[in-house]
Amino acid sequence: MELKVNQDNCLGCGVCVVACPVNVSISPEVSGGHGSKTTETIMMVENGVIKLFSEDKCTKCGTCQVFCPTDAIWLE
Amino acid sequence: MAANIKEVKAKDFNVERSAEEDRELSFKDESCVGCGVCESICPVGAIKLGSVGAIVRNDIDESKIEIDEEKCVLCGMCSVGCPVDALEFTVDGTPISEIETYPKLISSAEIDDDTCIYCKACERACPREAITVARQLPDRSKLVTGEIDIDKETCIDCGICEEMCPADAITIDQKGPEDFDIAVDKDKCVYCLVCKKACPVDAIMAACRTCSYGEYDLDPKDAEVTGKALIDDDACVRCGWCEEVCPVDAAKVEKPFEGELNLDLDKCTTCGACVDVCPCDVLFFPKSSAPGTIDDKLMKDEQFCIYCGACENVCPVEAIDVKRTGIKCTPTKSKSWQKSIDSLKTN
Repeated sequence: MELKVNQDNCLGCGVCVVACPVNVSISPEVSGGHGSKTTETIMMVENGVIKLFSEDKCTKCGTCQVFCPTDAIWLE
Repeated sequence: MAANIKEVKAKDFNVERSAEEDRELSFKDESCVGCGVCESICPVGAIKLGSVGAIVRNDIDESKIEIDEEKCVLCGMCSVGCPVDALEFTVDGTPISEIETYPKLISSAEIDDDTCIYCKACERACPREAITVARQLPDRSKLVTGEIDIDKETCIDCGICEEMCPADAITIDQKGPEDFDIAVDKDKCVYCLVCKKACPVDAIMAACRTCSYGEYDLDPKDAEVTGKALIDDDACVRCGWCEEVCPVDAAKVEKPFEGELNLDLDKCTTCGACVDVCPCDVLFFPKSSAPGTIDDKLMKDEQFCIYCGACENVCPVEAIDVKRTGIKCTPTKSKSWQKSIDSLKTN
């Protein structure tokens, strides 16, 4: 199972970045809604759309998919 | 088909054994709770737990476990360890749970029909929707007693009684502008006297006898609710909700594992994966007690925990620790089997 994104669907809202429990443990500032200052996180919003950086850290809990309002991030 | 052939020949002795058995392992994904016990007990590493969080939360059509058919040696240990009977292992068509030489986890859930009052509390509480209570209610007409009669000569066909009757016992059959029939269904009437009080021309004569003559007219046996409570063994996970909510102690549950469930709230990021995955509704997010206050991030009803470990496996930040301290199992003569079963304990 892999983490996938579709940038065409993405609104750039950043909910997945904030909701992801792994992101929070890597970079606590993202949980406060601030943009991450590191590419060590699984995903980040860059230039208005979501981008995957370290997807190998994903534990496949499915939280991002649960919260994404536009089905732009999912596990397959 | 697995062949078991042993032949040892030497000068003074001759040992031979030959056995051919049909050994088969099958998996029921709908029963699987994603606990990973099979993965830990498999002696050859043939089972891999899937991404249970993603599968359960996003309804992904994928099996919760993967079995490498090349590696599997058809020993049946996974079937013995599975706390929810999702893996069935058969030898020549007989499940090993029915073969005495194989050990078996001791667990059960039963509802005693003699004690059960068919209130359906267990059916509502069961987190796996494993309980069905089929009940036969008593005849309403046998619980009330009274008399009712409508004087058609006085009746003006206003329809008020028909409209007001809470039991839908009165019907007016309008045949023409002034031609009608009015009838009371005595199987439906409960002698509440609403029609009598509402009738503008006092055409209804009715009396309720329940309070004054009920003990003569009615048989208490007619008021009994009968039925049957059924537990779907494939869906039941022995969590104990039914036992807890039953008002008459008719439900009895025995769990296969004993243990401890510990939450590290400093690590928890409230992603909710554990809440969604828990098969027993043990974990929940508490409601805030007042505006502006945050209570504990995550709470547990540990009495319903079966210590399966599904929550610990799915937690992305290691905030959950499930300890298994006891395993109830029938005895086995095989030391290696006993060792494998004991390995499920976490100390």
